[in-house]
Amino acid sequence: MMQRHMKTGGGGSSLVVEDVCKTFGHGADEHRVIEGLSLRVDPGEFVCVVGPSGAGKTTLLRCLSGLIRPTTGTIRYGGELLTRPHADIAVVFQDYRGSLLPWMRVRDNVAFPLEGMGVKRAERNRRAEECLGAVGLADVGDKYPWQLSGGMQQRVAIARGLAYEAPVLLMDEPFGSVDAQSRFDLEDLTLSLRASLGITVVLVTHDIDEAVYLGDRVVVIGGRPTTVVDNLVVDLGADRDQITTRADHRFTDLRTRVLTMIREAQAQAQGEGPTVRSESTSEEPAPDRSPGDAMGGATGGTGRGDGPAREKTGRAVR
Amino acid sequence: MSTRSPAALWQSLLKQLWLPVLCVAVLLLATAGSTSFYFPPATDVLATLWRELLHGGLVGDLLFSLRNIALGLALATVVGVGAGLVIGEIDLLRQATGPLLDFARATPTVAFVPVIILTLGIGSGPKIFLIALGSLWPILLNTISGVHGINPAVHETARGYRIPWRLRLSKVVLPGALPQIFAGIRVALSIAVVLMVVSEIYGSPVGLGNFILQSGSGFAVPETWAGTVLIGILGYGLSVLLLAAEYLLLGWYHQRPPRARRPMSRPLSRSEAKT
Ligand SMILES: Nc1ncnc2c1ncn2[C@@H]1O[C@H](COP(=O)(O)OP(=O)(O)OP(=O)(O)O)[C@@H](O)[C@H]1O
Ligand SMILES: [Mg+2]
Repeated sequence: MMQRHMKTGGGGSSLVVEDVCKTFGHGADEHRVIEGLSLRVDPGEFVCVVGPSGAGKTTLLRCLSGLIRPTTGTIRYGGELLTRPHADIAVVFQDYRGSLLPWMRVRDNVAFPLEGMGVKRAERNRRAEECLGAVGLADVGDKYPWQLSGGMQQRVAIARGLAYEAPVLLMDEPFGSVDAQSRFDLEDLTLSLRASLGITVVLVTHDIDEAVYLGDRVVVIGGRPTTVVDNLVVDLGADRDQITTRADHRFTDLRTRVLTMIREAQAQAQGEGPTVRSESTSEEPAPDRSPGDAMGGATGGTGRGDGPAREKTGRAVR
Repeated sequence: MSTRSPAALWQSLLKQLWLPVLCVAVLLLATAGSTSFYFPPATDVLATLWRELLHGGLVGDLLFSLRNIALGLALATVVGVGAGLVIGEIDLLRQATGPLLDFARATPTVAFVPVIILTLGIGSGPKIFLIALGSLWPILLNTISGVHGINPAVHETARGYRIPWRLRLSKVVLPGALPQIFAGIRVALSIAVVLMVVSEIYGSPVGLGNFILQSGSGFAVPETWAGTVLIGILGYGLSVLLLAAEYLLLGWYHQRPPRARRPMSRPLSRSEAKT
């Protein structure tokens, strides 16, 4: 597998989120997205955060990456307060289209973070090619990102995250716009990379099956404002297989439990306070929807169009 | 960069060239055998142009003008892009300089010609200064708005991967703003040509502007026309050079499919009417 020249060994340090609130806007526009969220990610762990579309998953990940500061509460990495992006933390952004630089060829895009670290050109290119190979894009290094399909661009974004060789990898719906088959392949790739490199992964998704299949632990977030509603250990072992694991009764039990939790949180949010009732007049784009709908969104489909090729069918039926 | 075959290249050349060729042909035919004092035959004008270039001092004038406009534009580009990148990156600075820059843009630089020549003299220094001053505003303003218009996701990526500020400036901010910067330079070029001519008409012993002024006041009509045509050719030649540079540097932008290209505001197209 890939060689690493890790800055710090294995999975780095632990990431501890304590009682975080995040509010956007001021005055009348004030809008609390996250409230009282606490979370701990230990080195080497694979944690999946699952929640419905618009719950604030991207917001949480931006806080975890040090790109934005929480309004209140603290986020510590290795005991140190995280106030800006850390060298140990790589991010794969949800908006892969915007985050790949259109004026750079794919190889240069992947190698760009390394250039910032002062790695020599030959070594940069070698690592970039290696990471592109790992995501199955060995032959597109000379192309521009806009010459690739959405799914390929998303894989380039993943390759860039890998090339950074950080012990902690944060991923924001990284498989959102690839077809089902590639998605399975990328899920398995992520698992094997994680196993061979021993890195810590925090993956945010609205796909319950994906969260259960990938995670050592699944953190369910929901409610309004969003907080942690459940935190469950996935006892499926390290060796997972797309066919047998997904058919395993422990897998289906876990999925059912996550789904129930999300539904409950949604129902509670709907039944609570006047702000939630004003569905038709609400200005927020996504979170307002009926409980049934939220479930649909959670099982993999009805999210707003943040991925052009997002599948419409629930994953449970496959 | 382009992979077009020679045949396809010829075809696209033909598509673009037939109208200019037609125009020249009509001009030659219409003025052939003209006896009008003010509109001599185009062939006479071209012959005069050729003669003046070979034997007259026109090459000296041309070089003088060319040097001034090249230096003036280069100066404006360096200062405008440099300052624009910094101002565009720093929000506070952008807001603070906004009104001032709008004022500067709205003041026609030709109005400064007498003052500058009066205070700084008639050498090439003041002319370069004038050209640079007039060209600066469109380049500066376009750079600022280009930097400001870069997708926030791009900035977030650079920050997330801890790209040092120098690398960010040269590989993220500059290329991101480059399409707009080129639009600014294109506007600046037409302003620069006007300022070049005017600054040479107003008190100068050399230059193309002086040449047409002298020939005009001496009623040397073919010479006047020849100088005017040469100024046109100079301006056109410079804009072709600019297009070539743009083609080389902005291949990624022009080859991108339209849906992927961001709609860019072009706030400066208005200023083309200025000077
Ligand atoms: N910069 C911002 N300013 C104001 N509101 C914001 C900002 N970023 C996010 N929000 C709001 O926070 C809420 C959560 O957004 P976020 O993008 O984190 O959701 P998400 O869970 O990632 O959704 P999705 O699954 O669709 O990606 C939304 O209501 C959104 O409008
Ligand atoms: Mg999101």
